[in-house]
Amino acid sequence: MATDTRRPQSAELAVRVIIPHSGLDGFQYALKSLWRDLPQARELAWRFFLRDTRASHRQSLLGYLWIVLPPLVNSLVWVLLNKSDVIRIDSGAVPYPVFVLAGTVLWSAFNGAIMASLGVVGEARGVLSKVNFPHEALVYSALIKSLVDAIIPVVLLVPALWIYHVPLHATALLFPVALLGTLVLGLAIGLILVPIAALYSDVGRAAQLALRFGFFVTPVIFPLPAAGLARTLMALNPLTPLLVSGRSWLVGSGEAMPQAFTCVFAAAIVLTAVGLLFFKVALPHLIERLSA
Amino acid sequence: MSYFAPPQPTPASDDGVIVRVEGVSKKFCRSLKRSLWYGVQDVAGALNPFGSPRPGGGDPSDGTADVGARIPALRPDEFWAVQNVSFELRRGECLGLIGHNGAGKSTLLKVLNGLIPPDTGRITLKGRVAALIELNAGFNPILSGRENIFNQAALLGFSKQETLKKFDAIVEFAEIGDFLDMPVQNYSSGMRVRLGFAVAAQMEPDVLIIDEVLAVGDVAFRFKCLNAIGELMKSAAVIFVTHTMPQVFHVCSDLAVLDHGRVTYHGRNLAQGVGLYLSLLQGSAALVTGSGAVSFRGLELATPNAANASLGETLHLPHGASLRLRARLLVAPGLRKARLQFLLWNAEMLPVMDVMAADLKGYVFDVPAAGELEITATIPRVELNAGKYMVSLIAISEDQMNVLCRHDNAAFVQVAAATASGAHVLAAAEWSLAVLPP
Repeated sequence: MATDTRRPQSAELAVRVIIPHSGLDGFQYALKSLWRDLPQARELAWRFFLRDTRASHRQSLLGYLWIVLPPLVNSLVWVLLNKSDVIRIDSGAVPYPVFVLAGTVLWSAFNGAIMASLGVVGEARGVLSKVNFPHEALVYSALIKSLVDAIIPVVLLVPALWIYHVPLHATALLFPVALLGTLVLGLAIGLILVPIAALYSDVGRAAQLALRFGFFVTPVIFPLPAAGLARTLMALNPLTPLLVSGRSWLVGSGEAMPQAFTCVFAAAIVLTAVGLLFFKVALPHLIERLSA
Repeated sequence: MSYFAPPQPTPASDDGVIVRVEGVSKKFCRSLKRSLWYGVQDVAGALNPFGSPRPGGGDPSDGTADVGARIPALRPDEFWAVQNVSFELRRGECLGLIGHNGAGKSTLLKVLNGLIPPDTGRITLKGRVAALIELNAGFNPILSGRENIFNQAALLGFSKQETLKKFDAIVEFAEIGDFLDMPVQNYSSGMRVRLGFAVAAQMEPDVLIIDEVLAVGDVAFRFKCLNAIGELMKSAAVIFVTHTMPQVFHVCSDLAVLDHGRVTYHGRNLAQGVGLYLSLLQGSAALVTGSGAVSFRGLELATPNAANASLGETLHLPHGASLRLRARLLVAPGLRKARLQFLLWNAEMLPVMDVMAADLKGYVFDVPAAGELEITATIPRVELNAGKYMVSLIAISEDQMNVLCRHDNAAFVQVAAATASGAHVLAAAEWSLAVLPP
């Protein structure tokens, strides 16, 4: 038997034990691995992110412009509809284009985070069933991607504020926090759904449908109604306080909901952490079904 | 008595064992719809922090009843893809895993690699684990070879510094020089595998898992890979899945034969294990081709001290015994002469013995005006190694230009030999010794 003396003796080697986990034991194991693999997962997530962005933009002429185009065009549609009196929305003191653009930027952050996190397992299906790597890197990479996709459209707001003479207020500094809030909420929802979404394509489709509906029960293109059934509905929507407050902080006027904002933000962070843990616990069971 | 042994506690003493697999089982589901639903159930079970270990159960009638070990019951449409597999490996040892398609080899590797959780049992791995399963699994086709090297290396757990240090070695091994900055989608499939292997070969694993990666690439590269694996094996415990028996004899120290998820042979007698595996293979159906000018009416294989075998049957032949092949054939009118030969194929469909006349061509015979012919060939000593051989009868025209009739898998010869050799022929030679004057 060949024994290489340059190698550490087997007693010093890291020992990995693979057993069927269940209950609390499984969570403990997942937590430990999340912590132990953090450095590797971080590096890997960055590589995944670079790989995906490079690959997707190398095959396009407009490249990174595609990150800003959708929110821009989306806003333009509503601005034109409002201008031509097809719909009539009163955005108060704030010029409607700025109002709608701010709303759309916040909404796309939420939307993007949900879709990015829902797709992590499906997109990496080929690698997941063949290579053992810290799977949470996929989630971190989705987080980086949605962060970048959320921040870049913010540059649209700068000329918009300037063109429409909206003065900058100190509260505008809180806008990034709101942006992060919508993103984390999206991530939390996506992560909670991803174990089922990986098995059934229904979840992804339903999510798209729900988002289309959600766009209209969230005050993105119109202000939060003062009263009535619509107000009650929208007040129940966890995205409402994030979006409404963020926009109000940016333009310096309008309703802000700091208490609800804080509650939702905190809940979203907790849910994201729980979602990550669930993801880690559930993924081996999902890989088994993907590769079966 | 359950087929599953409850996992034994790991002995505290370190006896140099790098891989310890104890009673590992894994079940799979045949139906996709059910499989997905079971997936939901499993995920829900795993996500319940107060969930008890998976419930025991099983059916007493088929011997899978729970006897204390935590054996989950089979749900409808489920089966054991891997059942109660145990083995140990030390550094420098290589376990060959062979078995027919669907025997559970790849599933076992996935469990060993930590990709999917086992349903029962325990696996203890020491040190860095490297799996050469599908080498180009992480490649992005749009990106260049250079970018993919960094991505793949990160996927396998290298830091950027490590990759930079090993970059030249990877490029050199992969022999892709000029194509380094070309998108991987334009690589040939061989180049892609070379690149994948080159990155993976840079790992310095303590446990190496190899799944048939050598089935691709050209011969030169396969040699290079075998050498690289040989280098890695010196300091690692290796688990090696293959369908190519010569590779088993080439690299393995131990052998496990999997059949329907169970280990039917585990030991160091490679020839015995390979023989067992080959005997599990189904005999192929007979195939008759040719112009039809000759048709075979019968075949008889005979050896002293064993029952004769006719068409479709198997003759049991001890190594070194004589073999008599007798064919009965009917020739269409108009043909004056023809040639006949027998061909023996081994289980890997390689021709190993051509039974011919003294001029090393088929036996020439005159065709009578009417009636059937009986032609007999006798081989005094059959020195083939143990295994199952398929017999073909081939009748060709005298000028060897036309195949008149060819009958493949007409009958089978099962050779028995008690030796651990992997060679095709076991030659019992006459030896002599001469002491040379000093």
